[in-house]
Amino acid sequence: MHKPLDGLFLSTREQIDEEEQRIVNTVRQWVEREILAKRLPYLEHYEQEFAEKHRMLLMDIGLQRLVLSEKDGGFGWNSTTRAPGLAAVLIEIGRADAAIAYMSALQFTTILASGADSTSPVGNLISRFYSTDKPVNPAMILPGAGSLDEQTSLFLGRSINARLIHEGDNDILFGKNIRPTGCGAMADLFCVVCTDSAGQPRIAFVSADALGVQRGNILKETGLKACTNADVTFNHVRLPREAILEGIDAVERLYLWLNLLLGATSVGAAMNFFEIVYDWASTRTIKGGSIMKENPLCASVLADVAEEIAIARFLIDDLARLIARMAGPHSPELQHVYTMSQIVGYRVQQGTLRAVNRGMELMGSAGYAREWHAEKHWRDIKTIQSYLCGVGAEVPVKMDTARYFFDRREI
Amino acid sequence: MKSIDDFSRPEEYISPMDKHFRSVIRAWVDKDVMPHRREYDEDWKEHALIEPAFENLMANRGLGIQKALFPADLGGWGLGQSDYAFTIACTLAEEIGRADTAMGVAFMVTYWPLTTILVEPHVNRRLAAEFAPMFCKSDKAVFAALAMTEPQGGADIENMELLGGKTIKTTARLDGDVWIINGHKLWPTNTGGVGQLFGVPCTTRPGSTDPNDFALIFVPADVKGVTQGGPYEKAGMAADKNGDLWFEDVRVPAWYRVHGPGKDAQVFKEIIPWGLVASMGFIVGAMMNLYEVLYEFVSTRTYGNRPLKENDAIAGLIGRIAGDIEVCRIIAYEGARIGDRRNRPYGHPLYSEEVLAKLRNLKDFVCDRAVENFGRAMDVLGVYGPDRGYDIEKHWRDIKIIQLWMGGKQLCQMEAARYFYNCKTL
Repeated sequence: MHKPLDGLFLSTREQIDEEEQRIVNTVRQWVEREILAKRLPYLEHYEQEFAEKHRMLLMDIGLQRLVLSEKDGGFGWNSTTRAPGLAAVLIEIGRADAAIAYMSALQFTTILASGADSTSPVGNLISRFYSTDKPVNPAMILPGAGSLDEQTSLFLGRSINARLIHEGDNDILFGKNIRPTGCGAMADLFCVVCTDSAGQPRIAFVSADALGVQRGNILKETGLKACTNADVTFNHVRLPREAILEGIDAVERLYLWLNLLLGATSVGAAMNFFEIVYDWASTRTIKGGSIMKENPLCASVLADVAEEIAIARFLIDDLARLIARMAGPHSPELQHVYTMSQIVGYRVQQGTLRAVNRGMELMGSAGYAREWHAEKHWRDIKTIQSYLCGVGAEVPVKMDTARYFFDRREI
Repeated sequence: MKSIDDFSRPEEYISPMDKHFRSVIRAWVDKDVMPHRREYDEDWKEHALIEPAFENLMANRGLGIQKALFPADLGGWGLGQSDYAFTIACTLAEEIGRADTAMGVAFMVTYWPLTTILVEPHVNRRLAAEFAPMFCKSDKAVFAALAMTEPQGGADIENMELLGGKTIKTTARLDGDVWIINGHKLWPTNTGGVGQLFGVPCTTRPGSTDPNDFALIFVPADVKGVTQGGPYEKAGMAADKNGDLWFEDVRVPAWYRVHGPGKDAQVFKEIIPWGLVASMGFIVGAMMNLYEVLYEFVSTRTYGNRPLKENDAIAGLIGRIAGDIEVCRIIAYEGARIGDRRNRPYGHPLYSEEVLAKLRNLKDFVCDRAVENFGRAMDVLGVYGPDRGYDIEKHWRDIKIIQLWMGGKQLCQMEAARYFYNCKTL
């Protein structure tokens, strides 16, 4: 490629300070050296390689502590002002392997949702959990599909399938065969959207070691293969008060971070797909000799690829800036940022998937051959997209949008 | 709506044998494929689970369907002489595709090169008799392949209208009464070690666009100089093995060339419509299975504590999906009928630009709708969408491959433009 990726897919760099840029650069070096330069062996021995590269990122580079407060031994990226930096880091990781980025996004979201600071009881609990010299794998249980045989409490229409019952000084968590958004089989910590006995949304942080946490069989899923998933049952899981975060706001903040960070993950994967398809279209010939990208029809497909990725990156940058403003004096209201995050999250997943889908059209069998890696990005982004939908495709997000913009009162 | 069979199709076109074929294949699908298909992805290399299912479908100790195209007097069922050959092909593709499109393609591609010698009006009796025992008497599943794609040209070989075969690098040289073949092919379905007979497009004069220099020659896999590489690992379609295929001074009898100068190029063009109609059949079958899974999910899962299907916005989505399945099924059978009209006064020959352009156009449309609807359906299932246990995600991976094969979307668009707008240089 004649131009660097950063030059092609412009981002609003003024949002990122020097320290953030240093981390981004470090991660980029890890991406280039540890994964992109060794991609075929990386895929050939994926399970072992994934674990090692993930460990390297979290422990050797130290990203496990990235969003912990400085007081808790972290890098201090525990404020909304760091949203642009976090998005930039995840774009880099997503370029290498969306599965690693996905787990990082869940980790950052879990910590940030907890308050990410030992001054609050929940933040203190989570900070301690992550202040260890071993990788801590998170999983997330979000509101989604309900079933006919049970009326559940709702988060803006989506069923909340876990519930807390207050008992003495403890809360007891129940939930049967609930589907996490990936990583259920390997998680050390579950971040669970649940309800209290009054039906109000809560977030519970549950150690996988807690008595009563049961996992089902490992699921075979489309992508994010390293994030092995399984249904989870919470059978009378006793939780201390500091493991519970109260308020619908907490759930909205959770989505806000998820939309930003998983959007950045997919943008990163799509940017690597762009590199792959650039190489393909520049070296393959059609019609008996002309370079593929010089053909006007192929060029228009390639333009679609670039356009979708460029727009997705702009959207992620804008969302990051919006979230960063939440810490300032003219902080936008949470409802506004939540709604925008849902809109952007949905659009970015759609756009990046469309970019890959279209680019694959030009690659023929190389598009679906494992060795070209395009298909992995395609499966990974699709998996993230479906996870984020929760249930009902884009309808829940559209309802959120209509609710905010048109003062809709129904769920 | 009572069942998947209620999706519309032009009943006037349907073969009298349709009901029988469909019920036999569906029984096989339900018994031999459905219970195991979720394990197929891990079986892509060994085919330990997949092969027994093929045996029961294709081999003569099972349903014996691999002999269907051969004339009855050679031990086959004579489908090559049927006026409904395309329509039946669409039915078969649909029924198998409902369970596993890769099984459908592996099985039906076995017919693909054989259509050039077994389907009226191009029956080559000598070759039919030569290969009939291989398929009609075997107690094993026997796979054939059409070895088209070459390393340097991708789909160029399928772009006969423009390139006339000039990019073909695989050569055939006549030496007395044998052809000597040299070349390298990539990706044919039913290679990777399973192919036993190959239809090999070659050139007798490299760089030529003269149809007389195009040769389609049958090569049995056990002839000296034929080497099959191992199967490629793919995003899906585990039941369809693809690999490299090398021909190094391969010698076959001169009469293994299917018809001779000029005619070979014509029958090669006629192969394409078969692939296009079968592709649509596979897609429609997969979409019908999508409907089955989606129906169950939206009836039993809730949003806002009401069944998904009772929410107006979600109903809008799933209604569109069902509507598209309906339209695509009608289109697939209409496409099949275009093929079956080939010998009628109101039809067009299979090699004609009318048939090629129209079928490519229909296949492109059906594939686009499928790619969108499977993706959308996965999102309706949300966190369950990527779960193989719900089957939609496997189809989603597989049908994308169907969109990409046979020259992919852009070749379809070019054929349509050439035909509908009289483009001269595309």
